[in-house]
Amino acid sequence: MALLVLPACLLVLGLLVGPMMLMFRISLNQFSPTQLMIEEFSFGNYVQAAADPYYQEIIVTTLGMALLCTALTLVIAFPAAYWVGRLQSRWKSLVVIATLFPLLVGNVVRSAGWMALFDRDGLINAFLRWAHLIGEPLTLMYTPKAVVFGVVAVVLPYMILTIAAVIESIPRDLEDAAANLGASGLQTFWRVILPLSAPGVAAGSILVFVLCMNTYATAVLLGGPRFKMMAPAIFDQFVRGNNWPMGATLAFMLLAVTMSFTVFGSIAFARRYRLR
Amino acid sequence: MISRRLFLSASMGAATALASTTPHARAEAGQVVVGTWGGDYGQLLSDLIDKPLLAPKGIEVLQDVANADPRKTKLLAERQSRRGSMDVACLSDSDAYIVAGMNAFEPVDDKKVPRLEKVFTELRTETAVPHIYSAQVILYNVNQVKTPPNAYADLWDPKWRGKVGLVDILYPANTLAAALAGGGGVSNFDPAEQKLMELRSLDVKIYPSNEALAAGLKSEEVWLTVMWLARGFMWKKAGIPIAHVVPKEGAASIVFEASVPRNARNKEGGFAYLDAMLDPKAQIAFADKMGYVPTVSDAVLPEDIAKQVALSEADRAKLLKPDYKYQTERSQRTLDFWNKQFKG
Repeated sequence: MALLVLPACLLVLGLLVGPMMLMFRISLNQFSPTQLMIEEFSFGNYVQAAADPYYQEIIVTTLGMALLCTALTLVIAFPAAYWVGRLQSRWKSLVVIATLFPLLVGNVVRSAGWMALFDRDGLINAFLRWAHLIGEPLTLMYTPKAVVFGVVAVVLPYMILTIAAVIESIPRDLEDAAANLGASGLQTFWRVILPLSAPGVAAGSILVFVLCMNTYATAVLLGGPRFKMMAPAIFDQFVRGNNWPMGATLAFMLLAVTMSFTVFGSIAFARRYRLR
Repeated sequence: MISRRLFLSASMGAATALASTTPHARAEAGQVVVGTWGGDYGQLLSDLIDKPLLAPKGIEVLQDVANADPRKTKLLAERQSRRGSMDVACLSDSDAYIVAGMNAFEPVDDKKVPRLEKVFTELRTETAVPHIYSAQVILYNVNQVKTPPNAYADLWDPKWRGKVGLVDILYPANTLAAALAGGGGVSNFDPAEQKLMELRSLDVKIYPSNEALAAGLKSEEVWLTVMWLARGFMWKKAGIPIAHVVPKEGAASIVFEASVPRNARNKEGGFAYLDAMLDPKAQIAFADKMGYVPTVSDAVLPEDIAKQVALSEADRAKLLKPDYKYQTERSQRTLDFWNKQFKG
């Protein structure tokens, strides 16, 4: 039976672990503008990046955005997931496909659409001006708000479908029993539904958090050149600066921060709901 | 039951089918993979070079469309591989210099690329053919700017507060413009740092792409910018009310080049492609459609096009060629300053 996991393990080893080890080795090299990099075995890039206020700020911004977007997505997704999970209709598969629909459109294409919406001459400003609600166009593009909106819209289906799958497995009788015992709707949600759907909430939140931490296209296209998250900063070093050692260093720092928060978050979440 | 004969014929068939998809077979079939920009550039390559000039020679062209940065990174990443993914790589002069410095390109000469002899001497390099070129100028909105600036330094006039826009991805070119405004030059970017900070305090707007800047110029969010003359030509054709000024500090040149990677699978085809890129008719058509100036002496532009896209003799004399070595060695400082201080 153990052999069944072999193909997957080999694939991961070959296509993920191998390149990551190579990337880690590159992160220990020294950058040279004329030779690309000089072989070294030093953690200097890590020390330099960690001590640089610019990268500290980018990490804080990335983390803040990821946490905010995850929380917002959870709040918006839960009611929808509950409805999808409880839906008993022959149209249910169509609803699931509709939920997935945003994922069928590429990130860049989707962001380009939002650019047309948020732009100075975009639909929102055109409407507000037509309705005489504003005189001068609002600045909607190239703001953190635009990025939050864009990211939440992208990751929403992941959260909805993950939670809906768990809610589907919670017997409806439990809600009826809670109501029989006099629990209000809110109490039923808080004491029955939420704890039982905790695995889905945890899995969805981790998935969404990881995706948000690695946001690239939405951050670049909607956040503009002054808004910095880690993925665009890594791209900058690798591609614009040809500084592969620093790019690799930043990639591992992002990985470390994401993994730390994911692991600690999962542990905290598990403890919280095991206590109940 | 599979007979020996059936097994052998099936094996041969499978081997033939597999061979037709291997790189070796691709080279023999005369396929050339061209790493290029998409959009108008890619389309014009296809219409003016691939179909009319290469197809009759039995060379099939496949375009590997991407922006310059990913292409440059791909070339660097593949440079030690025995077989690369491109037979021709199109890059700007600055990017080509970096990749050539890593010994990733084949040398070019008149034997491999016969039309190289028609290329203007000042544009020739050892590893690339210059395809088209333009110059960095000031573009301004003709409706809003009644007294146009005549130097980069004029963009720092407080009366243009909030009305100057720059493109983020063109940070090396913008840094050069700031250096020139501050008394520096192609081999001295030091004054750029103070000038950029001054421009920042004058509420300069930074756009992520050329297209975003074009939208900003169209909506009159910004009135002035630093850009290639060719881009200005295209935007004017698209209805944006702009005109250009060649800055009195001098206009820096931008050359778009093409090279054959050392690990190209079809080098012969790659050089044939480079030769076709220098075809005078194609060069004139690029000027007409995209505003970039021919790099060969026998491509003479019609007067009406030349007036819009070419520099005057006096301005050509002041054309500044980038100091590639200097800007490459300083690249990390330029990028870090742009990101951390100017945009930060």
